[in-house]
Amino acid sequence: MSLLSLKDVRVQFNTSGGIVRAVNGVSLDLAVGETLGLVGESGCGKSTLGKAIMKLVPAAGGQILVEGVDIAPLSGEQLTDMRRKVQMIFQDPYGSLNPRSTVGRSVAQPLVLAGWKPDAIAERVETLLRWVGLPSDARQRYPHEFSGGQRQRIGIARALALSPKLIICDEPVSALDVSVRAQVINLLEDLKGQFGVSYLFISHDLSVVEHIADRVAVMYLGMLFEVGGRDQIWKSPQHPYTRALLAAAPIANPKLARARQRTVLQGELPSPLNPPPGCPFNSRCPMAQERCRAEKPVLRPLGNGAQAACHFV
Amino acid sequence: MQRFEFLGRFARNRGALVGAGLILVVALMAILAPVFFPTDPLRIVGLPELWPGEDSEFPLGTDSLGRDILAMIVHGARATLLIGLFASAVATIIGVGVGAIAGYFGGWVDEIAMRAAELFQTIPNLIFVLTIVVILGSTLSNIVIAIGIVSWTPIARMTRAEFLALRDREFVQACRSMGMSDFRIILTEILPNALPPVIVLSSLVVAGAILFESAVSFLGLGDPNVASWGRLVGDGRQLIRSSWYICAIPGIAIMITVLCLNLVGDGLNDALNPKLRDR
Repeated sequence: MSLLSLKDVRVQFNTSGGIVRAVNGVSLDLAVGETLGLVGESGCGKSTLGKAIMKLVPAAGGQILVEGVDIAPLSGEQLTDMRRKVQMIFQDPYGSLNPRSTVGRSVAQPLVLAGWKPDAIAERVETLLRWVGLPSDARQRYPHEFSGGQRQRIGIARALALSPKLIICDEPVSALDVSVRAQVINLLEDLKGQFGVSYLFISHDLSVVEHIADRVAVMYLGMLFEVGGRDQIWKSPQHPYTRALLAAAPIANPKLARARQRTVLQGELPSPLNPPPGCPFNSRCPMAQERCRAEKPVLRPLGNGAQAACHFV
Repeated sequence: MQRFEFLGRFARNRGALVGAGLILVVALMAILAPVFFPTDPLRIVGLPELWPGEDSEFPLGTDSLGRDILAMIVHGARATLLIGLFASAVATIIGVGVGAIAGYFGGWVDEIAMRAAELFQTIPNLIFVLTIVVILGSTLSNIVIAIGIVSWTPIARMTRAEFLALRDREFVQACRSMGMSDFRIILTEILPNALPPVIVLSSLVVAGAILFESAVSFLGLGDPNVASWGRLVGDGRQLIRSSWYICAIPGIAIMITVLCLNLVGDGLNDALNPKLRDR
């Protein structure tokens, strides 16, 4: 049984301009101990998908299963149980901590809500802060006394408090300096090795995903275009969008950069209010044909364990 | 540590320091009134209409009935400040409650709460206070409630705006993702962050409440057993052409207190919203 299983998940928002289908039928599985990278452009719905899994936004359709249990109808005790298993690390280390709470109080919050005793909480907070590499006097201090990287460590400590099985990382390093990024990524990998936690790692930074993910899912305008092992995606991307996305990532070596074949996308991400009919990528796809404008492709297996949603692969 | 910073920022505003000093004097006066003037201030003690300085026993003179004006001012400080503080407390409790719920939940709850606030805002404040006092009766607590009922709308709007800005912040989402209840999030997470501008507004509502009470008392609807400053002004109004000091002395006391409260409000604003200072 997979740890997290998404079946045709949909999330929509009613706006004054009409209905925005932020997540439009996503199916995905995440195994125990696995890190799944979810990549895509800004506004493609990857963060919304993460929030739907946390029940921060309601899913409009489909099923989200955590260890085989549908989370949609959960409430009370069972919901608390689910929340214990799934935690989240947020993008903005400046916004994710209450500026008027001490670090100790912020990290202790999940424990307090879970009904721990005060002395057990104090001990646990001490341990958590040590795990994420913060000094133990950090607990009496306020978030504004810490740097961005340290704050993100505080956020990680809070997420780890109840020993979750899955942590949803919503762009956890995009707000950090490059020098600090590596530290936080390494910390996440260490913790994974230590506790066997799984990550759903949402990011637009391909180099980070390449480093941390076991498998990668590529998202575009609310739907998945390609899912596969990291090496398979990087070495032989099948979907034209994945190819374009990888081609857009900078390469440090100029010789390699000049030598590679580039598919440069034209135009902007279409408005999610008014996506093109058929395949949502047809307005920018170099391979687009009549069929793409009429028929929406579905994610289908390619044989090597990977899946892609395109009529021509 | 944080507390000292706060005091330092407050003290940098000279006007606020002066205001706080004078308010302190008025407050001490209110607290120590029975020590200075142990007898009932509404008792007739001398000749009527003695001008200030005319008789050294009554430094601020006597009113039309021969009551000591100084004693009434000192005792009046008590009533006036208490009315101001309690009315502001009533307004703040209603305002923060309505504003927090409207801002946090949004949607139709917000819609109803804000339409209600608008309804209250369309009624002229003084007329509304007078109506409530006339209906409920002229007691101190009724006057406090009436002033609170007309003064909560700006506080509700301010609180709602703060909550709207804070409710989608990531630390609130983090709390929701942990399964914290809405009530707890409102009270322990958002409210402490939303409070600083509300405190500033509440301090200004105290000043407004004192003016309302003065107006109510001036019109003769105040509590007849309490010597508030507004009532002293009201009592002296028939003699305003001959013995104008009877009105003027309590009037000046009201003016100074309200001015000081406004200065303190400005100082609190500087101290609590450090990002706005030095503009």
